[in-house]
Amino acid sequence: MLGAPQSSNAAEAADIDAADVARVLAGDVEAFAGIVGRWQGPLVNMAWRYCRDRGRAEELAQEVLIRAWRGLKSWRGESVFSTWLFALAANVYRNDLKRVPAVTVSFEDAAEPSLPGSQLAALDERDRSGSVRRAVLALPRRYREPVVLFYFHEMDIGAAARTMRMPEGTFKARLARGRELLRKRFPRLREWSTASAGADFSSADEVSS
Amino acid sequence: MNRRLQPKKELARQAMAGTAAVDPVVDRILAGEDALIPSSGFAASVMERVRDEASAPAPIPFPWKRILPGVILAIAALGWCVFEMAQTLLSTAKSLPPAGHLGLGGNLPAITTAGWIALALLAPLLAWLFARRVVGGSALL
Repeated sequence: MLGAPQSSNAAEAADIDAADVARVLAGDVEAFAGIVGRWQGPLVNMAWRYCRDRGRAEELAQEVLIRAWRGLKSWRGESVFSTWLFALAANVYRNDLKRVPAVTVSFEDAAEPSLPGSQLAALDERDRSGSVRRAVLALPRRYREPVVLFYFHEMDIGAAARTMRMPEGTFKARLARGRELLRKRFPRLREWSTASAGADFSSADEVSS
Repeated sequence: MNRRLQPKKELARQAMAGTAAVDPVVDRILAGEDALIPSSGFAASVMERVRDEASAPAPIPFPWKRILPGVILAIAALGWCVFEMAQTLLSTAKSLPPAGHLGLGGNLPAITTAGWIALALLAPLLAWLFARRVVGGSALL
């Protein structure tokens, strides 16, 4: 997960969250700073993946933290604090995007990335990545969110499904459909993959000879 | 195992397996994004808002106790109106001549009055529903 706290022990991190929540509920407002410090990065990154607008991502992440502050009592410890927080964030981001959509280009109009071969390989790569990321935002809503959350949670289907409060089976089906749409929209990505692999092999041959 | 669910699960598994094999580039692009670092004042800004909220006086609770008699009175008045209207309609229906001898002229005013009453009762309800739709079902409505 991008920007997640670098704790080696997830259980330990969960305990710290639970302790901070208990302190906040006991009246220690400053204890919330610990929660903000640990989760600001993941929340901003998650929002960024939903809207691709840095300013808006920070505004949304701030809104999530304020709502979390107001609704801390509703977290009963049945799930890990981060699961509760991400589910809240997904809800806020989803509703905000319904109000003001993030994308203006349709899925069909998303630009096809060019094949490698250009001398400006780095620019090519950047252009290609940008096209695919924009296309994710242009996916139909029911498939977009599973794709966004799947990659945000570093391809952990369980975590992503919990964030959406959705059964894993349903989540997997939607994710598969979303990825299938992307694959069909960008058939040349496969060629690019093959070409890249070929280029890698040829450069390896050059080095070895 | 539920036999009806099995095909759906199997379909999802196959779909995942299929796309996983053909999507290494998409996976690499979407999973390999650089982390965005929140701006330096982000945490401070959040905490400022939190402190503001914490120091703000508690919201004034809605005065249900004061408003309850009024609500009961309004419901009673509405019920009485409906009862009266039903009675008027029934008496009008009874006083109508049998079919084939429609003398609507004499009963028309009573029916018209009942219609106006119904419209008067319906209009606020429609206005309320419309306002609720426009505002989006907020707690105030």
